[in-house]
Amino acid sequence: MDKITHAEVRMYRMGTGDCFIIKMFKGTDNTFTMMIDCGTWKGSKEHLEPYIKNLKDYIREGRTAEPATIDLLVVTHEHLDHVSVFKSCKELFTADFVVKKIWMGWTENDAPTSADDPLGDQLKHWKEEYGQRKKALNVVADRLNSLMTDEKAAKKKSPLGLQPDFAVAVDRFAELHFSARGSEYIGGLAGMEVVKKEIATNNIAYVHPGQVISNPEGAEGIKFYVLGPPTSIDSIKAEGAPADEPGETFSHSQNNKRTDNDSFATAILNLTDPQLLSSILPFDESFLADETMSEYASESWRKIDYDWLNSAGSLALRMNSATNNLSVALAIEFADSGRVMLFPGDAEYGSWKSWHSIKWQAKDRFNDNKPLETKGLLNRTVFYKVAHHLSHNGSAKRLGVEMMTDPDLVAMATLDYDVISPGWTSTMPNRDLIADLLLRTKGRLIIMNEEGLSIDRTPEKQPLKDKILATRQQFMTSAESTAFHNAFSEGPGEEKLYYQYKVNAM
Amino acid sequence: MASDAKPPFRKLRGYAFDPALTLQLDMAPISTIVYKIPWEDAAAATINNQGIRPGPIGEYLEVIDYDPTVGKSYKPVDLNDPYILAQDGLDPSEGNPQFHQQMVYAVAMTTIKNFERALGRKILWADTWDRGTKKNVSRLRIYPHALREANAYYSPYKRALLFGYFSSSPADESIQMPASLIFTCLSHDIIAHETTHAILDGMHPNFNQPTNPDVLSFHEAFADIVALFQHFTFPEVLKNQIRKTRGDLAAQNLLGQLAQQFGSAIGNYGSLRDAIGEIDEKTKQWKPKEPNPDDYRTVMEPHARGSILVAAVFEAFINIYKSRVADLIRIASNGTGILTAGELPEDLVNRLADEAAKSADHVLQMCIRALDYCTPVDINFGDYLRAIITADVDLVNDDSRNYRLAFIDAFRRRGIYPKNIKTLSVESLQFKRNPSFGPKVQGMFLMISQFLKKFRNDIMDTKSRDEIYRITQQYIVGNEEQQGLHDQIVQQFDNQTEFENVTGLVLNRDWQKFGINESRSNKDYPAVLVHNLRLVSRVGPQGGQIHHIVVSLLQQAKVIVKNGEFIGVATNTKEKKRASTFMGGCTLIFDLNTLKLRYAISRPLLDTTKTKPEDRTLDKKRIEQQVRYEQDEIMMCVSDYSHYFGSGLTNGAQEPFAFLHRH
Repeated sequence: MDKITHAEVRMYRMGTGDCFIIKMFKGTDNTFTMMIDCGTWKGSKEHLEPYIKNLKDYIREGRTAEPATIDLLVVTHEHLDHVSVFKSCKELFTADFVVKKIWMGWTENDAPTSADDPLGDQLKHWKEEYGQRKKALNVVADRLNSLMTDEKAAKKKSPLGLQPDFAVAVDRFAELHFSARGSEYIGGLAGMEVVKKEIATNNIAYVHPGQVISNPEGAEGIKFYVLGPPTSIDSIKAEGAPADEPGETFSHSQNNKRTDNDSFATAILNLTDPQLLSSILPFDESFLADETMSEYASESWRKIDYDWLNSAGSLALRMNSATNNLSVALAIEFADSGRVMLFPGDAEYGSWKSWHSIKWQAKDRFNDNKPLETKGLLNRTVFYKVAHHLSHNGSAKRLGVEMMTDPDLVAMATLDYDVISPGWTSTMPNRDLIADLLLRTKGRLIIMNEEGLSIDRTPEKQPLKDKILATRQQFMTSAESTAFHNAFSEGPGEEKLYYQYKVNAM
Repeated sequence: MASDAKPPFRKLRGYAFDPALTLQLDMAPISTIVYKIPWEDAAAATINNQGIRPGPIGEYLEVIDYDPTVGKSYKPVDLNDPYILAQDGLDPSEGNPQFHQQMVYAVAMTTIKNFERALGRKILWADTWDRGTKKNVSRLRIYPHALREANAYYSPYKRALLFGYFSSSPADESIQMPASLIFTCLSHDIIAHETTHAILDGMHPNFNQPTNPDVLSFHEAFADIVALFQHFTFPEVLKNQIRKTRGDLAAQNLLGQLAQQFGSAIGNYGSLRDAIGEIDEKTKQWKPKEPNPDDYRTVMEPHARGSILVAAVFEAFINIYKSRVADLIRIASNGTGILTAGELPEDLVNRLADEAAKSADHVLQMCIRALDYCTPVDINFGDYLRAIITADVDLVNDDSRNYRLAFIDAFRRRGIYPKNIKTLSVESLQFKRNPSFGPKVQGMFLMISQFLKKFRNDIMDTKSRDEIYRITQQYIVGNEEQQGLHDQIVQQFDNQTEFENVTGLVLNRDWQKFGINESRSNKDYPAVLVHNLRLVSRVGPQGGQIHHIVVSLLQQAKVIVKNGEFIGVATNTKEKKRASTFMGGCTLIFDLNTLKLRYAISRPLLDTTKTKPEDRTLDKKRIEQQVRYEQDEIMMCVSDYSHYFGSGLTNGAQEPFAFLHRH
């Protein structure tokens, strides 16, 4: 049986967010097509439609099957920038578009049954905890918004103890998780609902780490290794390495302690859904005073009625990271050569770390047939979809990027400063990560949009674009340079709807 | 009779550490101690603002137990209730909010008293503006249950401490209040830490302007140093541990381990102390961490950087303690240095603990006193070392136990060198004493000294802190009869090059060319802020007396930096809006015994290498360093939280201390 000879990885440039088509070929025959995510931070239907039309044309190209057919769709995680376009261009995805198989992470299973799902109980528990917090995030974002729009409050910010910018930032985090915002929590993102309810035809598989799927029909010679999402709740909650373990993550960010938001979430939910006093008080009711001391209000600038809402920031960050860690992370291997394409979604440190505890039921042919270790997959990675848009905790250092030692390594990152949540620009890109990737890839770092990116924050702002070109000149041999230029292509015209890179099986 | 018998102290029971330690069997005997705080009479119903009322609300503090997360208040404790008085306050209890109020009050008051003892004056909180005039804030407000988060912070905008509480284990049912709450307001170290932030803000309001990598770290590190050494001044908490490690001459290791235990119970508060030591993986023994002389140069994140300072001071403390107990150990071991097997004699334990407590108290006082010798802006660790040494030389003539060398050595081992100092010695580190001036300027200083002496006489017997504040302001601003200190300085030293050279501030006719704003009180003169006028009366261990007045001056220039280069000053309103603010300041210390200027400790705006009036320029190098730090480097070393939710740390409208603790 023929085996896959190469793959074309196409990144659509809709704005910060992921949308990939990976076409696999046997010689010139495109026999397998997969799609990973379809989202962007923001964008009107008019703006997005050309991309999706191009996408559909592309998947039809060279295949006789009608309608446009995707053999495998992977939805990594439920964040706006990974699923939004399923909603905004819903018509294009629900007609003349067929998906044969869908993969989602084990936590996306809405109807788990303990009997046939070993993770059922854990899933149920996680969903409850996670769901309550999501709800709380929604409530607090709303509360902050209404406080800020109250004109009096907006003008006099100090008594509030809240910043208008802060409310906006929390709201953006909430938007990342919820589609229609309002006082009512309405469940998941609309894009996700479209996939689950309208695109799926009872063909969703919920994957969990350790699974190896070999030679799916049309993709003979390919092995999928499921790395994430982790099944341990602690791993899901770990966004960065402990501070006393330098070298684990990029940059010097300090997220060493996970703060617990339970008591905060309780108080927030109480705002819209009042509970029995005894169940939300930290003390016995008998300690309650009949009235607040007159001193409290005597100097109104010292009141603290709203300061506590600032904890919403931690809640939002925790939710954001946990959801990122729920990403389906895949290593796609050309089995004969062992070359790997790594698609980790937006996995953060906790997920990366958990990959290394997976007990693979496989041997590593490239390491004396010893039991396969995740390290081996990373060593052989030749294509890396950079997790979480080049942020500092999206790529583990020691347990991730530093294990990507293949000289052919190419990295592709979905960052675009023209379309991005403003709060993100401070952590994306991470300079240390960029510096490391540039060296490892010899400058073969393909970024969705380099405009506006610089390698430092000094006012001089050396453009990243220049740095990439300089690195390529400096480090690539002429043969590598030719190969890179042959493998790389971009969409026609000014718009350059996509960037594309050809990955050879050998 | 009754008035004579007024007790010196009010005794209040509280946790020695935090409630978590009461559950550890070996710590249980020392988990609670009795805090002794200055007695305040019960408030007379007729006189407001005096005495202690339910809350507690006293002279310095007002504990207001309003919990905004549920919109309710908890009943305030009445410390004068006879039952409570009779048993040294309420029983330590996590479930009784009234005890929480008592605990924050007791520890915050203990911290205040430690500062007052070291500084030789009453402390004032940062003042506020009320309809155009400055106004004293008599009481720091304390909210023991203000947040639901593993965080507590000092709010410089509300002159308040906000304490949080959180659940230590996830709830089973999320809508229910989670079990096992942890209250930050029950930890001695957290309360002392936050109270210190407030006191420091009252003394140096510009120490939260991060103009170099040390500034943010300093606030954190200093607060941690106070919390730690205040803890060590309670001999009770040390005895147990000293007894346990009998015969181990490395008892100093034990103190280090203990220091870390204090901090580790709640979240991030221990992190600054991690630099002190670690558990050896092989031997499972705690050992001090070897200092790395590169640390100060390479570590930039505020907490990690602060930990360098904490570790340096801690090492100085250990060496002081070692030298203080060397004779005791020799006596107890018949000169061998090796103690005999078996439990240590109780007397020896008591003496060792006393020496440790005494050493801690001395270190604490040295660290606090140094604050009067710091520049009002842009503090760095090297200058802080100089301040410690100078302050100590002033007060203690004979450093027979080599305290100063212990400090210098510990700082040196971590690569903390003050700039422009060639060798590290007690002499070279002292700020230049009694700078000399020509007769004219000397005469002006004499005049100002006499004016300040009058100020001292007015203020010396003033008990009320509101009154102290009022008199101080009057001396700064002046009134119809008397020109204030501000106008005296600005007008008399106008165009006096000698004064400019020593302060580094711009007080010449060409001030507009230096990007300085006009003075609000008189448009002909450059704006200079006199933001501190403090009386210092201290008595040293050898009976030496100090009568100083500390005056801080502040000035800012609006500068334009393009592509990292300082290209000129902003002259018009439009330019000023977009320009960077470059801060300079000078702390002048006057000696009332000699009526001379004793020190001028300055962070110059001007390039002081150019002493001729016609060559004067702003300090280009420092401007460029500061702007580079503010625009670029600072972002590399702050938490994700600040990245996403802070629009730059220099944005004045946010809670700076909340951010450092939030992750």
